[in-house]
Amino acid sequence: MPKILIVGAGQSGLQLGLSLLENDGYEVTLMSARTPDEIRAGRVMSTQCMFHLALEHEREHGLNFWEAETVKVEGLGVSIAAPDSSRALDWVGKLDNYAQSVDQRVKMAGWLEKFEERGGKLIIHGVTTSDLNSLAGMYDLVVVAAGKGELVQLFDRIPELSPYTQPQRALSLAYVHGLKPRPEHPDFSAVRFNIIPGVGELFIIPAYTLSGNCEILFFEGIPGGPLDVFTDNPDPQEHLDRILSLMRQYLPWEYDRATEVELTDSRATLAGGYTPVVRNAVGELPSGHAVLGMADVVVANDPITGQGSNNASKCAASYLDSILANGDKPFDRQWMKGAFDKYWEYAQHVTIWTNAMLQPPPPHVLEIIGTAAAKPAVARRFANGFQDPSDFQHWFLDPDKAAAYLASV
Amino acid sequence: MRSRRVRPYTLTGGRTRSKHHLLVETLISVPSYDPVLAEALMPESRAIYERARTRASIAELSAGLTMPLGVVRVLISDLATQGAVYIHSTAHTYSHDLSLLERVLDGLKRLPV
Ligand SMILES: Cc1cc2nc3c(=O)[nH]c(=O)nc-3n(C[C@H](O)[C@H](O)[C@H](O)COP(=O)(O)OP(=O)(O)OC[C@H]3O[C@@H](n4cnc5c(N)ncnc54)[C@H](O)[C@@H]3O)c2cc1C
Repeated sequence: MPKILIVGAGQSGLQLGLSLLENDGYEVTLMSARTPDEIRAGRVMSTQCMFHLALEHEREHGLNFWEAETVKVEGLGVSIAAPDSSRALDWVGKLDNYAQSVDQRVKMAGWLEKFEERGGKLIIHGVTTSDLNSLAGMYDLVVVAAGKGELVQLFDRIPELSPYTQPQRALSLAYVHGLKPRPEHPDFSAVRFNIIPGVGELFIIPAYTLSGNCEILFFEGIPGGPLDVFTDNPDPQEHLDRILSLMRQYLPWEYDRATEVELTDSRATLAGGYTPVVRNAVGELPSGHAVLGMADVVVANDPITGQGSNNASKCAASYLDSILANGDKPFDRQWMKGAFDKYWEYAQHVTIWTNAMLQPPPPHVLEIIGTAAAKPAVARRFANGFQDPSDFQHWFLDPDKAAAYLASV
Repeated sequence: MRSRRVRPYTLTGGRTRSKHHLLVETLISVPSYDPVLAEALMPESRAIYERARTRASIAELSAGLTMPLGVVRVLISDLATQGAVYIHSTAHTYSHDLSLLERVLDGLKRLPV
């Protein structure tokens, strides 16, 4: 019976662990740095909006515990702020199937408890390299799903696939209650993507948190610019006040909805940033054992396209298939490489698109965004690309293909 | 491979609960030493099993056996799942829960030979 050790209780590690337990014959041990209660009492970690294909993986394994009460995200809207802070452009594209965002504090804590209930072995411990060094030999397979933590150092950065060496955005966010309904489409909820050229972006994401449904105000600021003002780690209320005053200055139409908001809880703010990176998925331990990196450990993108949790879910689903297909054969380096390559066939599209979105939009992208205001089909295709970004190569990323597509709609 | 003769026994029906909270100060001990089991364990687990014949804390075990804490936790949790070691609750909760004690004793009696 293959013995599998998973390090890290996030979207990818827990989803893989829980889905493995559905199959007879796998002994799954999961190591988490925190207990469920500590996770619930901790700080928010993400905005974690997940689109249809990723949600389907959770449903397939009966892990969508919060689906009924979580607000449905039925569209994706884009606005561009003009220099005088008016709204130069504004449209919304409908999603074919809804997206949802469940606060990772709620989800990971609940999934951890479910993992034990379903017979997984859970060990609460922040894992070190020296732990792994000794543990690896006792397992048939060790999967490192520890997100962006220190253990990534076991995996070499691949420079050819990692164009950036510094964070491309300064992130700051707050979970709030009390945002007024959206006037443009009061009948459904949407993720709103507000672009402030040269300054950054504000996302507004409907989500479900510890205290019910809420909205997340999420700024992505160009480093050194006016939105990059959270490095002093302000207290939560000051953090929210700063977000609101930036909204008032740059995006008054969004600020108008936010005059009566309050934080959902005292841990509902976050600031930071990280460098997008692709790493070698096979990590070598001093003891000579190999470990397999998963999700953010090996492919970490800026959240500007909201793909990290989606990727984590898809990576977990892909690795599960590779594990089951391997049967009782050894989980050697070659298998590890194959498992990653299979995931990368998909993930490369997300990385290419996300890295492109961090650059100032080229003329053909501006044309697409502009045309979408007049042609719902274009808006719709853009919105639905978030569930499967491999579509963007066919029309969005290349000027010639964009021109051909726009001529055809 | 572990001995097939070891029948898993735990308070919770085959799983270790994170409630066990393997803190550095958590005490563990071997309820009834079984040389056949010891023989069947991996060397690292066997070292813990032998050492815990006298009650010891996780920290002591990690230090005494020069094994990383994370490894000690994993191995103890595995040993506990088999009923080979007992993870002591804090004295307080333990002394107030008679039924728990009974289940422990019952489990101990059922430990395979
Ligand atoms: C501000 C922000 C907004 C985002 N918005 C979105 C979005 O809208 N949509 C989207 O899809 N994605 C979004 N993401 C990305 C998404 O949150 C991550 O990509 C996703 O959670 C990655 O999943 P993972 O399983 O790789 O790692 P994680 O979810 O980060 O899980 C890693 C786990 O490992 C644990 N861990 C770390 N080190 C150790 C250790 N040494 N020992 C034991 N445990 C350890 C951590 O505590 C954590 O529980 C966002 C990210 C950020 C920062």
